[in-house]
Amino acid sequence: MTFLAIALGLAMLIIVDSMLTGIDQESFDRIINYETGHIKIFDREYREDEENMPLDKSIDNPAALITKVGTDPDVVGVTSRINFRIMLSDGIDQYPAVGIAVNPADDESVFLLKQAVAKGEFLKGSEEAMLLGEGLAEDFGVDVGDYMTVLTRTKYDTYQAIDLRIKGILKTEDPKIDYAAVVIPLGLGQESLDMGKGVTEIDIKLKDPARIQEFRDMLAKDIPGMEVATWKDLAADVIAISQAKRGGTSFMLFSIFVIALIGISNTILLAAFERTREIGMMAAMGMKRGQIVRLFVLEGAMIGVLGSITGCLLGILINIPFVKYGINWGFVMRDVGDIGYRVTGVSHGVWNINMIVIAFVAGILISALTSIYPARVASKMEPTEALRKA
Amino acid sequence: MPIAKMDNVIKNYKVGKVEVPALRGISLDIQEGEFTSIAGPSGSGKTTMLNLIGCLDKPTSGRVDVSNQDVSKLSSNRLADVRNYNLGFIFQTFNLIPVLSAFENVEFPLILLKKGTPKERKDMAMNMLNELGIMELAHRKPAEMSGGQQQRVAIARALVKGPKIVLADEPTANLDSVTGEGILKLMQDINQKTKTTFIFSTHDPMVMSYARRLVKVHDGKIQADERK
Repeated sequence: MTFLAIALGLAMLIIVDSMLTGIDQESFDRIINYETGHIKIFDREYREDEENMPLDKSIDNPAALITKVGTDPDVVGVTSRINFRIMLSDGIDQYPAVGIAVNPADDESVFLLKQAVAKGEFLKGSEEAMLLGEGLAEDFGVDVGDYMTVLTRTKYDTYQAIDLRIKGILKTEDPKIDYAAVVIPLGLGQESLDMGKGVTEIDIKLKDPARIQEFRDMLAKDIPGMEVATWKDLAADVIAISQAKRGGTSFMLFSIFVIALIGISNTILLAAFERTREIGMMAAMGMKRGQIVRLFVLEGAMIGVLGSITGCLLGILINIPFVKYGINWGFVMRDVGDIGYRVTGVSHGVWNINMIVIAFVAGILISALTSIYPARVASKMEPTEALRKA
Repeated sequence: MPIAKMDNVIKNYKVGKVEVPALRGISLDIQEGEFTSIAGPSGSGKTTMLNLIGCLDKPTSGRVDVSNQDVSKLSSNRLADVRNYNLGFIFQTFNLIPVLSAFENVEFPLILLKKGTPKERKDMAMNMLNELGIMELAHRKPAEMSGGQQQRVAIARALVKGPKIVLADEPTANLDSVTGEGILKLMQDINQKTKTTFIFSTHDPMVMSYARRLVKVHDGKIQADERK
């Protein structure tokens, strides 16, 4: 039965790793595809006060910079946005939310918002319309064609209220969008917020995501007055939370593994005591202590092999539906609130071959190593003592 | 030249803080090819004598020679080598490995000795089972055999590597008298045929009657040494 403990530990390791890696990958993809692109350019002062979305620290003349970046052969797309704080109201209730003014003409060169319109249509030109996150629409009980009031402050801190028709509902699976975002056309945003031609950020998508850091460093040298940040810089807190969660989960799995290993050690020790006479007989026939140690270590390793094979197979089998269909976290994510992950519904597992190989080899090696102590105890029995025992 | 020799051997065991004497100055020569019984009541020291000649234990003082080699002060690994190459053991409770078949149990000492190729080892083990008339038990596990059959397998296991001495600690104690006599006759036949030295302990007069040399021990001392 000891091998089952190892098998369950390894299977859990494979499944939990698959789910966590899957959630991480999907979260990072959504951050890039809906929030940050690969690289963002801000005004330096804006970056320092980013939390408050200060409209007076914007990039006032983005056109030249957009053209300059856009001509770089490494760049696939460039767009610009304004992020601003709002209160959203249906005339009865009001909730705080984030306004995102996007350029309908080129937003899809960097982001996937256009593809995330689940109902209605994407924005055009500078029309007086908005896209609403699916969660917000549910909370307000509104739908495409309904009107809502966006209350905000302009660049000069004066109040502004605009009534906008809901043109589309967004379903991105990113809670920052689905539960908290109102998207309007950039032209409308610039006019309503007294921004002139200004934007708060320029967003860039590269051909080769592996060159993000290199490109960022080059660009930062080129435009010294600006702040250039990669998506990893911008999602540093999410990455840190993810690593912390992984650390906690790894510790839990490590504990399970240790318990399984204590089980192996105990099993080998019991086997040694149960077979005391056998050990005595083997010693009488001329088996040396080293050979007896090897015999029991081999037995431990065989338990490890059996546990590793069973555990890896079990983990792979259970992981197949997780990878293919995923798990719907929708029932818990909304109540849990913002925990960093960009998941509102289904999240898929991934195949991490490295983890499966590591789990397999570790199961065998650690089982064999754990058997050394009881094997040495067995080998130290005097043959005469061992033969005398019943 | 004796095949085994004990020279003024004293063996004390520690029980808690007390030293209990098991042998009190034993001297004994066993010649090659002898069929010797060490007889005496429980606690007389006969098993201790077998353990010392069998290189399973070391004397407190005195000297034990096996196959012309002083084994009194050898390391445990060297003692294991002496047992491996020179000695065969038959135990009162048979001590076959329960998960192995009769054939595998008999083959086991040959594997330990790394003797021959796998095919040669198989032939040697099967021949030995055949010689002892238990060829049909080759593929049975110990639990599927009677006590007498198990002891025959144990004898085959002791003999298969061609040891110079076979040591048997009360080999018939767990058998009924008819089966026990069968085992003794078998040991006697092998002794006569192969000239292998047999030393066995007993307190049973029937068993003693088969021995050609009877060494009687009492309270750790030799009381009588009779040759028939």
